[in-house]
Amino acid sequence: MPIVVTGLSHRSSPVTVRERFAFAEARIPATLQILRDQGIADEAVILSTCNRVEIYASTSLDPTAAAAELREFLVTIHDYRDPITDEIYSLTEPHSIHHLFRVACGLDSMVLGETEILGQLKKAYDLALQHRHTGSRLNKAFQRAFNVAKQVRTETSIQRGSISVASVAVELAEKIFETLDGRHVMVIGAGDTSEKTARALLSRGAKSLVVANRSLERAEAIVKELGGRAVLFENWSAEFGSIDIAISSTSATTHILNRAKLEPLMKARKNRPLLLIDIAVPRDIDPEVNLIPNVYLYNVDDLQSIANDYLEQRKEEIVRCEKIIQDKAKALLGQDSSGNSGKVRPAFGQ
Amino acid sequence: MIVYGISMLYSVFLWRRGFRKDDRINYALLVVAFALHTTAMVLRGFSFQRCPINNLYEAITFLSWTIIAAYLVLGLFRKFRFIGAFAAPILFAIGVFALMPPLDKAHGPTPDFRTDWGSIHGTFILLSCGAFGLSAIAGAMFLTQEHDLKFRKLRAMFSLLPPIQRLETVMNRLLISGIIFLTLGLALAPALIREVEAQGKEFKGDPILIYSIFIWAVYCLLWLARWKFGQVGRRFAWGVVGSFAFLLLTFWGFILISPLHQ
Repeated sequence: MPIVVTGLSHRSSPVTVRERFAFAEARIPATLQILRDQGIADEAVILSTCNRVEIYASTSLDPTAAAAELREFLVTIHDYRDPITDEIYSLTEPHSIHHLFRVACGLDSMVLGETEILGQLKKAYDLALQHRHTGSRLNKAFQRAFNVAKQVRTETSIQRGSISVASVAVELAEKIFETLDGRHVMVIGAGDTSEKTARALLSRGAKSLVVANRSLERAEAIVKELGGRAVLFENWSAEFGSIDIAISSTSATTHILNRAKLEPLMKARKNRPLLLIDIAVPRDIDPEVNLIPNVYLYNVDDLQSIANDYLEQRKEEIVRCEKIIQDKAKALLGQDSSGNSGKVRPAFGQ
Repeated sequence: MIVYGISMLYSVFLWRRGFRKDDRINYALLVVAFALHTTAMVLRGFSFQRCPINNLYEAITFLSWTIIAAYLVLGLFRKFRFIGAFAAPILFAIGVFALMPPLDKAHGPTPDFRTDWGSIHGTFILLSCGAFGLSAIAGAMFLTQEHDLKFRKLRAMFSLLPPIQRLETVMNRLLISGIIFLTLGLALAPALIREVEAQGKEFKGDPILIYSIFIWAVYCLLWLARWKFGQVGRRFAWGVVGSFAFLLLTFWGFILISPLHQ
């Protein structure tokens, strides 16, 4: 019985369409039952995330006919009446297996190499398994997909490094401080990126947060969500003695922190390492500050440059990942797929 | 020595690559070097029918053996394996020093210690050198990683080196251990001198004793500067690396001119 995949992803459709095809988790077992009752699939798994909605089905129908039935099923069950062109794609073997492996490895994700999708795929499979909607065919394919994802993670660098400004900042902090547990973080000027960065640091164990902002209300709003203390902008330097990481993103037109101001503060904090992240444009912190021993200053370009380099490195790993996927898919299908280019088959009906 | 040399060359390659991968090859090279090193020491011990720590050559050989043994234990843990890349050049440098002919003199007439304090004294001094050596290795790692972080080099992110704060903690603890061992070693010196004098031999201010007190004072100052005066981070690392480099370059010379240690 061949495996067929039908669905939508961030590559084929905008969120406005995807959201209309999304399945609530509670509704999935019943939907799978309908799918089987209608004779479209003998085994099925539904994967529904913010970036994709896909039905993986093992069917005794002709693969092309099964793909048409699945597409129709998706449209009908969501009562979608708007015109559909390229938004829904369908893949049959061997492309469906390649696709499943690529999804498991994060190669088809919006953020290349991300690992969250593997957890979502496992959850979708477990749900179908619990309700007995999978059999030997899908069980084998999904188990193999999880193994391939593990192999890709250990043998390539596709998942290595951070590719967002916030996660690069966290990684930098982990290169400087023995542990993030118990570190004190200060946000100077409450912008969106600085809030995300502070959130990422806190999620990795940072102890406390101090938010200094011209608008105390905005500072208090962040503190209410993330915890910590809000202080008046004028008082930020008084807090520096206990701070390990400072994230600055004010709208000031001149430097709010320079070498002359920081040197005495460093003495007061016995020269403990200090990570400064300057996300503001124009910059809040004089670059000369980096000349002070034990001070590590990174601006938004530095962080973005690191994130871009990581992304480039991940892209360079795609070929190695595809090779592993190709070999494993070939082994699973028990056929020579050397003639397959790995290209996604055009959407059904085009 | 050849295997240490190969390991050093490979370490340069790893250094330039930024310690991105677990360097199992270097670990394997150092395992081979350790096996050969141990075999050589055992054979020498059997041939002389005594523990092979009786002249400067043997002391240096033993010192480098303790460093590599400590590394091989640490290297069992993947995250510490890269230390080999920093240890290999130091082991090679120590080995080159040890091969200098004047260091391997036949053991001449020596004070006849009736107790084992002489051996214990020697062990403490060598352990202190080992601790200072490992501290210098941690210092070199700190300086590499700190430089890359300061100058925003991407290899700081890819590198498997530990956080610089942890490296500084390791440096400091090893330095304190070294000071304790050196203090214990030096504390035994008066008793040993009394034994020498009891045998009717005259003792007049041995150069190595004065040198050892100087080294002890340098390391104590380094520790004090960090603890009391906030001389942390790069300055502390340079102090640790520089002090050990000075020790490596001068120790053998003072041993050679010391009548008591010949």
